[in-house]
Amino acid sequence: MFYKANLLSPWTLLSLLIFCIFASPILIVLASLFGEYSDNWIHLYKYVLGGYVYNSFLLIIGVSTISLFLGIGTAWLTSNYNFFGKNFFDWALILPLAVPPYILAYTFTGLFDSYGTANNLIREIFSLNSEYIFFPNVRNIYGAIIVFSFTLYPYIYLATRIAFINQSRSLREVGETLGFSKFGVFFKLVLPMIRPAIIGGLMLVIMETLSDFGAVEHFAIQTFTTGIFRTWYGMYDLQTAMQLSSLLLIFITFFLVLERYSRNNISYTSGSPTYGKIENKTLTGRKNILSFLFCLTPLSIGFILPISELTNWALNYKLDFFEANFIKNSFNTIYLALLAAIFCTFVALIINFSGRIQKTKFFGFLSSALALGYALPGIILAIGIMQLFIFLDNNLSFLNFVFTGSILGLLVAYVIKAYAMSNTSIESGYIRISPYMEDVAKTLRASNFKILTRIHLPLLKTSFLTSIVLVISEVIKELPATLILRPFNFDTLAVSTYIYASEERMYEAAAPAIAIVLVGLIPIYFLTKTIRSSRPGKEN
Amino acid sequence: MLKIENVFHSYNQKEDILKGINLDVSKGEIISILGGSGSGKTSFLRILSGLERPHKGKIEIDDVLIVSENYFLPTYKRNIGLVVQEKGLFPHLNIIKNVCFGLIGSKEEQNKVAIDLLTTFKVNQYQDQYPNSLSGGEQQRVAIARALAPKPRVLLMDEPFGSLDRALRESLREETKLFLKSNRITCLMVTHDEEDALSMSDQIFLLENGKLNIQQKL
Repeated sequence: MFYKANLLSPWTLLSLLIFCIFASPILIVLASLFGEYSDNWIHLYKYVLGGYVYNSFLLIIGVSTISLFLGIGTAWLTSNYNFFGKNFFDWALILPLAVPPYILAYTFTGLFDSYGTANNLIREIFSLNSEYIFFPNVRNIYGAIIVFSFTLYPYIYLATRIAFINQSRSLREVGETLGFSKFGVFFKLVLPMIRPAIIGGLMLVIMETLSDFGAVEHFAIQTFTTGIFRTWYGMYDLQTAMQLSSLLLIFITFFLVLERYSRNNISYTSGSPTYGKIENKTLTGRKNILSFLFCLTPLSIGFILPISELTNWALNYKLDFFEANFIKNSFNTIYLALLAAIFCTFVALIINFSGRIQKTKFFGFLSSALALGYALPGIILAIGIMQLFIFLDNNLSFLNFVFTGSILGLLVAYVIKAYAMSNTSIESGYIRISPYMEDVAKTLRASNFKILTRIHLPLLKTSFLTSIVLVISEVIKELPATLILRPFNFDTLAVSTYIYASEERMYEAAAPAIAIVLVGLIPIYFLTKTIRSSRPGKEN
Repeated sequence: MLKIENVFHSYNQKEDILKGINLDVSKGEIISILGGSGSGKTSFLRILSGLERPHKGKIEIDDVLIVSENYFLPTYKRNIGLVVQEKGLFPHLNIIKNVCFGLIGSKEEQNKVAIDLLTTFKVNQYQDQYPNSLSGGEQQRVAIARALAPKPRVLLMDEPFGSLDRALRESLREETKLFLKSNRITCLMVTHDEEDALSMSDQIFLLENGKLNIQQKL
């Protein structure tokens, strides 16, 4: 009911202002497609762009294949069978999400390079000299495929596991009575039924792969993100960097549309579940061991290996969490992340509250549009915001405030990236507040502001806190936007990890990397809670 | 006292759910509007309270215009009490704070008004407790006390006894009626329950096909 939105209400105006701030960096980037094309662009177009597209496609195909295999396989096993360690794998298989791809990439090279920990260890055990190398070079696109697959497969695991849990067991049984073998039932019935969930998870994997900067940069792979970074920092050509960003944005939009489409169709995956106690089949003997190993492999490569290597570095370096630089960078990170989390949560509150009091679909649309920010690569946001700030500095000099290089740019980028997280928390909090409370409060002379402060805010305390914690854990990992938009001489944990790793000072990278992974474990806790409460027949 | 003239309302701008409602209610009168689900009786109350805006028609209280095609007085300025079946108690506020929510004045004055009302509706012993520790009937008593606390010009009740068992229903009906009559508070109640309507009201209207078309004076 768009016609009902009161455009003059301060809540509507505030919401529209927020929308404009969110949209302007994207529009600025896209507008570059209609601007002038420099010689750099012609050079890139002739000699490099094909490589970016080829590498991006190769990454997508490789990462998708391995992630699908790992994600669906582990989800199927943990949802349907009892085997050794099943209860542990239930939640532990999500742990690799706490490790950003760039940190896995750093630990991978630390482990498997010619003089890396793994080769050294084997040589030491067998008293061999340094000419023996046991692991292939990982600093290439195949190494990157492994890195992305083993850190991102949990997106598919999560989506398909929830779908498997909610899938009707009786439908599978009917399939078997109709003459399908167990494999037939799996490939012709089970998988097609959860297709939207699989596609949803897969699109997230692809979008994250395309958005990454740290891992591909470390492996020296030419992709859009590294190209954008080099065009800007190497050639100082912002216009061409924006034009490249537009192409990447178009790519991402395609996958984003597919993800949203599959999310809308997810309801048919449920069928008519047999609620009540779910009896999983207990595996024994060889099947038991194979299932255990199948689940242990992605967990080992995606989480245990990097943590072990980081710990190894930390011990070698005599890890000092009280070292001045680490403390300064941690403070910067927490300060930025906390500010961003508070901003982001208030933005989500304003949009949700406006929708609540005006009861129009307009705000639902607005919120969905703003939530798409999670799919935007940090590097594109950074470029759009940078260009916007240059424009503001040139035209609003009377304000005596320099936008470029202030932390404002970082805050805008973080809020755009993390809005979806805040919105989910605040929206789910609002669902639990009966609209009758507002109706009655209005008749009790309560203004909108009083309803917000006296009723909604106290009832949204938990959602508020959840939103702040989730945004902090997201913001701490963000690398490319922070790298580009940070004020001069202002480092965060992610930036210092990147700088140490790019200078091959791996031992020193351990402390900030461990801190990032530890904070990344927080959303895992929330995800685990969600999974547990989604099992039919179990109490929330 | 309450004058409703030719009120039309629709949710989709295609089909009217209310088709020209006219009603005159005198001060202190209790009116019931009977109707099935989807008949528009809740929408009618929402329009009177200002939670919805009619697309046509005029409403006055004490000869003061509160809504017309060109004018709309917001809910919080109307001084109308509202009781809904779902109670709508604020779960984070204790009982006395719930009742004081719509009151102005010093804390002592607010507490005095609240305690008097809670005593009238026999729930004063729960004043420091939170809504979730009260039974459904006790919660509804608090909801009625809270709606009456700011001395509303009109009390609107939407299926106020709907979720209560028979014995509770009867006693609460009587207590509410007694209070409304002794304080000459005008009340408009919508319900699908004929017994509620018959026991509470001075007049009963039937809302059917968007029109108030049968009237029974008791």
